[in-house]
Amino acid sequence: MTGLAAAALDSVVPQTSATGHRLAWLRERGMGASILVAALAAAFGVILVEVTAYIGALLQSDPFLGDSGTLAIVTAILSFLLTGVAMYVAAVVTANTFATIIAGRTRRIALMRLIGASARSQRAEVTGQGFVVGLIGAATGLAIGLGISWLGMLVGAQLLQRTPESFSLAQPYILLPAVGVALTTWLAAHIGSRRVLTVTPLQALGGSVERTRDEVASLRGKHIGSLVLLIVGVALLAGGVVIGLIAPYGVIVAFVGGVLSFTGLVTGADLVMPLVLRLVGRMFGRSATARLAAENALRYPERSSRMAIGVVMGVALVTMFAVALESCKKLLLSGGDVPAEFFAPMDAFANVMMVLVAVSAVIAAVGLVNLLTIGVVQRRRELGLLRAIGLTGGQVRRMVLLEAVHITVAATATGLVLGTAYGWVAAQSLLGAVTMPPDFQPAGFILPAVPWIPVVVIVAATALLTVIAAVAPTRLATRVAPVEALAAD
Amino acid sequence: MEITTSDLGLAARVQHLSKSYGAGDAGVRALDGVSVGIRRGQFTAIMGPSGSGKSTLMHIMAGLDAPTQGRAWIGDTEITGLSDVEMTVLRRRRVGFIFQAFNLVPTLDAIGNILLPFELDGRRPSAIERARIDGLVERLGLASRLNHRPHELSGGQQQRVAIARALATAPDLVFADEPTGNLDSRSGREVLELLASASRDHGQSIAMVTHDAIAASHADRVLFLGDGRITADHPQQSAEQIAAYMLAAEVAA
Repeated sequence: MTGLAAAALDSVVPQTSATGHRLAWLRERGMGASILVAALAAAFGVILVEVTAYIGALLQSDPFLGDSGTLAIVTAILSFLLTGVAMYVAAVVTANTFATIIAGRTRRIALMRLIGASARSQRAEVTGQGFVVGLIGAATGLAIGLGISWLGMLVGAQLLQRTPESFSLAQPYILLPAVGVALTTWLAAHIGSRRVLTVTPLQALGGSVERTRDEVASLRGKHIGSLVLLIVGVALLAGGVVIGLIAPYGVIVAFVGGVLSFTGLVTGADLVMPLVLRLVGRMFGRSATARLAAENALRYPERSSRMAIGVVMGVALVTMFAVALESCKKLLLSGGDVPAEFFAPMDAFANVMMVLVAVSAVIAAVGLVNLLTIGVVQRRRELGLLRAIGLTGGQVRRMVLLEAVHITVAATATGLVLGTAYGWVAAQSLLGAVTMPPDFQPAGFILPAVPWIPVVVIVAATALLTVIAAVAPTRLATRVAPVEALAAD
Repeated sequence: MEITTSDLGLAARVQHLSKSYGAGDAGVRALDGVSVGIRRGQFTAIMGPSGSGKSTLMHIMAGLDAPTQGRAWIGDTEITGLSDVEMTVLRRRRVGFIFQAFNLVPTLDAIGNILLPFELDGRRPSAIERARIDGLVERLGLASRLNHRPHELSGGQQQRVAIARALATAPDLVFADEPTGNLDSRSGREVLELLASASRDHGQSIAMVTHDAIAASHADRVLFLGDGRITADHPQQSAEQIAAYMLAAEVAA
């Protein structure tokens, strides 16, 4: 096994005297975090597979529920969707990380191009590194996932009265998330390394001034696609709500609309998020540190947008389940009298789902911390300049903290708004026509019901995330000496 | 009572300044007991070959680095022993900087960069300062470029924005580190003439580190450094004289 892995590694990243130690690049900033992201997604997928299998075995061994396959199937579908979301977020984070690493390597790539390397071979090198990162992450995630599943099985044996006798952790399907993560990481590295192709040999010479804005002209085609998805999705969401007033099938139409519109939002993030970021930036006031921080988030609108969109997805999904649950309750109550114990299983389901989608938010958070740190590392010279002309250490700290706050506030606000909208549509399209005793009147339209406890938890969690995200970058940033502005690189 | 820097007619000075990097045999003595003053209202060039200590001297005089031994003053304030925050505020209010490249914050437009020292101080320029900035913008020909970001400006224009920022606070001293190093010869000459006129017409004290004899010929005074010591101190010289001196020093070494 080890020999095989080594051979695979060797064919991807050849070890020559010119390239130095084969895996030295793994120590580069950002690679460790990418491995962590891949490992988290893989471990999450593995655990979900095990839980699904466990529940299946549990049901089979239960003489009373026995042949009820529905619950097993529902669990399998949910696991599949949740793993998909986690993998998607991980891929977005990884692609973004690689794009950022490439930006920092521009000079070196230009030098290689100058000596005679082709752009294609330079990109292949990066993609190969992505593959290795994916392999290591997937293997680590597989091991961690199995470990946690094993612990969970022991706990389950203690708590449950009837445990499946012949349950084994060696489920063939656990390879699916591991292989999936390895492949998506590889793909993400490939997408993130697109910019390698635009590096010219000339950039190895002259100290040209850094471009302030990324050019986005070539992305128009992609934006039209996002816009179409968004418009069709919103139309379906509206249709779902209207149909929901007559029959509960509306929720199926709304679900398709939700998937389409959300995909449109995520792929078109660099259209939407800069607007939100600008708005949040204005709230910071006009002091020099606030303005520098706000401008910095908009320096690479694509990068900041993708940095935020992972957190947006996590927050939106958690909020969606919370609001959907609360709005469902409200609809049922307005449709008639409902006994309180009716809500207990709904509460439990929504809580479990919220915890599960929060895993995606954690993956996004890792990406956020990582990107903020790389952002500081790549700006050493600019920070040195600011220190020379009069930014104190405290002001540097405040500026970097504000940069983190900027992204998380924009992402949390967007996520809360989206989640509330989606949650309301879900509840309305499902239960708009519901009638309950004693009146048997259809519930009709309601306003979204926003439960405050999950919202407070979300805001507190993102506030904590902001502080954690700012620790490493501020420590690095305050270490920059003013003399570095003068050092030629 | 001690004689102050301004009593001596100086904008900044250092006394018995030494700076070493590393320790023992591997140690390098970048500055070796240098005592020198930058005269108020003058344009001083600091010259010397690579490794002569001219950059280290400038870093310490500008409050960017700390000496191993000796004392340094900017105006009447002794800067050796100041805390990091005190030093930063002093640089912000009383020192102007022009570097060879990467002078401007890429996310701010030209006027944003010029006003940065005031904004870092948490204030707006006073009416007098505002008038001075308007005059600078006019003189430096930046009026139509104020809302451009650095990447939209030519190298010469970027350097002029840096000059405007350095002069805007009317600092005790402007430090310029190879300000023409990245410019074509025409833009370079413009920048040097602007610096010379700031000191001649407006009494601005300027210290410029350079290894370019033509650049140094614009200065009122040329200091030569070699092996961490001041080796010569000349009033204004032609580029030929400066080059001849440098060549002789190289050959003698």
